[in-house]
Amino acid sequence: MRLSRRELLSGLSLLGLSPLLLRNGAARAAGSSYQALVCLFLFGGNDGNNLVVPVDARYDDYLAARGDPANGGLGLPLTQLLPLNPATGTATFGLHPSMPELVPLWESGALAVLFNVGTLVAPTDKADDAAGRVPRPMSLMSHQDQQNQWQTSLPDQQSRTGWGGRIADGLGTSSLPPLVSVAGNALFAVGATSHPLAVPAVGGSTFGLTGLDSSAPGQALRAAMDAIRTLDLDNVLVQSVAGNAVAAFTASGALSPVLAGTGSTVDALFAGQTSGLARQLNQVARIIEARHLLGATEQIFFVSLGGFDTHNDQMNRQQALLAQLSQGLSAFHQATVQLGVDANVTTFTLSDFGRTLKPASGGGSDHAWGNHQLVVGGAVRGRTTYGTFPTLALGGPDDFTSEGRWIPTTSTDQYVATLARWFGVSAADLATVVPNLGRFPTADLGFLG
Amino acid sequence: MARSRLLGLLSVLALGSWVGCSSSGSSPDAGTGLSLSPDAVRLADQATFGPTVALVQDIQQKGAAPWLDAQLQLLPSDLGTYPVIVDNVNTVCPMGSPPACARDNFTPFPTQTAFFRNAIGGPDQLRQRVAFALSQILVVSGTEVRPNYAVAEYQKVLLRDAFASFRQVLQDVTLSPAMGRYLNMVNNDKPNPALGTNPNENYARELMQLFSIGLVQLNADGSVVVDGGGVPVPTYGQDVVKAMARVFTGWTYPTQPGVAARGHNPEYYIGPMIPVAANHDTGSKQILGGTVLAAGQSADTDLQQALDALFAHPNVGPFIGKQLIQHLVTANPSPAYVARVSATFADDGHGARGNLGAVVRAILLDPEARGDSKTDPGYGRVKDPVLLLTGLARALGVSTDGVYFASTSGALEQSVYQAPSVFSFYPPDYPLPGGGGLLSPASAVLDSASVFTRANAVWKLLYAPPGPDSTVAGATGTQTSLGDLASLGGDAETLARSADALFLHGTMPGAMRSAIADAVNARDPSDVGGRVRAVAYLVLTSPGYQVER
Repeated sequence: MRLSRRELLSGLSLLGLSPLLLRNGAARAAGSSYQALVCLFLFGGNDGNNLVVPVDARYDDYLAARGDPANGGLGLPLTQLLPLNPATGTATFGLHPSMPELVPLWESGALAVLFNVGTLVAPTDKADDAAGRVPRPMSLMSHQDQQNQWQTSLPDQQSRTGWGGRIADGLGTSSLPPLVSVAGNALFAVGATSHPLAVPAVGGSTFGLTGLDSSAPGQALRAAMDAIRTLDLDNVLVQSVAGNAVAAFTASGALSPVLAGTGSTVDALFAGQTSGLARQLNQVARIIEARHLLGATEQIFFVSLGGFDTHNDQMNRQQALLAQLSQGLSAFHQATVQLGVDANVTTFTLSDFGRTLKPASGGGSDHAWGNHQLVVGGAVRGRTTYGTFPTLALGGPDDFTSEGRWIPTTSTDQYVATLARWFGVSAADLATVVPNLGRFPTADLGFLG
Repeated sequence: MARSRLLGLLSVLALGSWVGCSSSGSSPDAGTGLSLSPDAVRLADQATFGPTVALVQDIQQKGAAPWLDAQLQLLPSDLGTYPVIVDNVNTVCPMGSPPACARDNFTPFPTQTAFFRNAIGGPDQLRQRVAFALSQILVVSGTEVRPNYAVAEYQKVLLRDAFASFRQVLQDVTLSPAMGRYLNMVNNDKPNPALGTNPNENYARELMQLFSIGLVQLNADGSVVVDGGGVPVPTYGQDVVKAMARVFTGWTYPTQPGVAARGHNPEYYIGPMIPVAANHDTGSKQILGGTVLAAGQSADTDLQQALDALFAHPNVGPFIGKQLIQHLVTANPSPAYVARVSATFADDGHGARGNLGAVVRAILLDPEARGDSKTDPGYGRVKDPVLLLTGLARALGVSTDGVYFASTSGALEQSVYQAPSVFSFYPPDYPLPGGGGLLSPASAVLDSASVFTRANAVWKLLYAPPGPDSTVAGATGTQTSLGDLASLGGDAETLARSADALFLHGTMPGAMRSAIADAVNARDPSDVGGRVRAVAYLVLTSPGYQVER
């Protein structure tokens, strides 16, 4: 039977919401008045097949499909993988060899892995997908569309808001907007009514005017600037630009010294790291450090790392990027520990899509669908994995093509809802933040406690 | 509409809008300030890297259509000739090399400085502006294609083809070794069962998605074709991506003079890629719209037929035409405007499809582009950061070696020829913040941090233009003479009105003029330069100047 979209919606909305209703706003850590989500977007489509690799009997399937690296294949040698030892028993998965900093996080229970999560209109499988019973996300395997859909969690429509922005719509603003991006504008951060603040990374530009002095002519110039922002607003584009400027000037007074790192105690943890991601996470840590000064109690941050579109030379390129990811995540987690907020800050990865298990000409991989993601923080129920690991067989039960492109077994909606619920989003607001959530059987994946 | 009729109609419109301007009224005048035709200033905003008084006078004297026709004839400014190097920094810049060695050979920095010198001072303004738009649609980025000379060679292709047939653009871009490297068509081999590899899908996918037809079927007016359930109809599926990946197998770098040819030639970026029959997948391929490429064809025949099929697709006109409108005129064109441009793409009036020169002309002479003022509140486009910098430089008499501009464009999130990905600097569907459903692609690079980086760059250019960078050979630095505004005297009202004419084509509200006058009058009357700078700083940092409208 082919379901119409309307039938699908009405049928699925009956499922899944009840557990959520019981946990309305339950998640604030005891005695704390601070909560933060840090969204880390891996632009380009990180190859999750080499992020976490089975080290048990399934490794042979993996190597057979990926190919021997000695012949230009993408298989990581078994002996180089970093075992992800569970609390008891032996490891069944290993981490990419360039991520040793994450092993102690795993072993301390602050890191969890979520398997094969992706954009889904509704639950589906190979048979449903092949028969067209469940529509695929719009423009599957297109970077732009899939980046957007991970950020909106609305794979069946063009959304002008992101789920981070929709959470922020429900939060009050103190001296600065609740959503702060250290990676420029992103759809994730755009709300229906709220607008994100974008700040420079550590070592970046000045978040304020340079040049204007305190002389009378200098102050007259500043006064005129302030006045001009409130004029000439007949054109909607000009109005939007002016609104952005007003927000920037409003925030800059309190934020400038924080962003300049004045008196920061967390910078040392990032010493020696020069990656853009480390400089962004360092800035997030500085803002969290100054949360009392800034009057911030609920914050959402956006940071990113690009370059994951590894169609060629993947072994070298991904290794360099995952090393930056590992070092940055580790330093940032240590910063939250040092600030005493590690249980109040949860960092999680998103990415365009996974990549083909089968290599492409040139030593790379092509665009796919489901992918593995990392969640880090003191509130994470870590040292374990969540979701269902795909069968690593080309054309196998999880592959909707013949190159190893996994049909997701967990949806972004479930992933987002789990994060949002922990953050304190009410059941009522959750329906706005994750409108399609009711289509999926489980609203809380359980990786946060 | 026949081209001649369109021309006639538009020249009447153009004349009508400029009737009020006497030929002498546009000269700098210490009494009343600059008087410029608003529509001529608007055309300079849309078709060039920024108005100057001389340019606006030229447009006024010639008229819009003749001025455009003259621009269409101009040859490209020179982007420079750079050393051919191997992509190995340790070989090219061994220990003991100056630090600038890596910058000058393995980043597009030298080409970027040439871009800015040409954009600020070159005569072929329209060609450069269109090539700049094309460089953001058909993207090759220096982030991955590291040799500077490779980036320069690619951008020369876009400059050369800016007014050519779009079929030629597809051909030249597809066979560019820089593109081959960027999207992995170079040395893309037929399936290799022994290695378990497939042809690389990267170029096949982005050629269709970004460079030619897009993901969903379009009507000629740019609206999306939907099925009975309201769902957009895709232009192709994964099967076509796979078939096209096989089409683009069997090409390698051109053979460098003096180097022996191989199946996979070493990197070399001058001239087009060359076919290698042994690496081409000769099986039959079913591509777009069910077109079948017969088995046994050569790499070149397959490629030509595939590009023909793409070029013939009805999406190309609205897909490329609308993006060019968004880059030149307005981010939210009416469907009728897109349809008029699509019609010119389909037939330039002489039976030719895809004539980019005619398309650009149609975009800029369209009634939705021309006129003294536009009252639709959603009209216009947020300016590229590059256009903020060049607009200032051209209007305020900046002479420069381009060094400050090259580095500052990066700080403003638009490092020319060095986009973060094949999706360029900003996505075409970025929503205008608070804009009630309007799109504003360039708003993606205008965030709260860039409020300050933009204002501080304006300050730097006005108040403290940087001198020569000692690490750059032949550096001359940047000087700001303040151009035509420098000869108007220090009267606040005159300066504000002149800046309004030149930068805002007369849209400045009276209250803004008063605010500017107050700030100017806080300065000593004898400090004419300081007064001009104050006016320029306030206008160039104003929200109104960030929008081309």
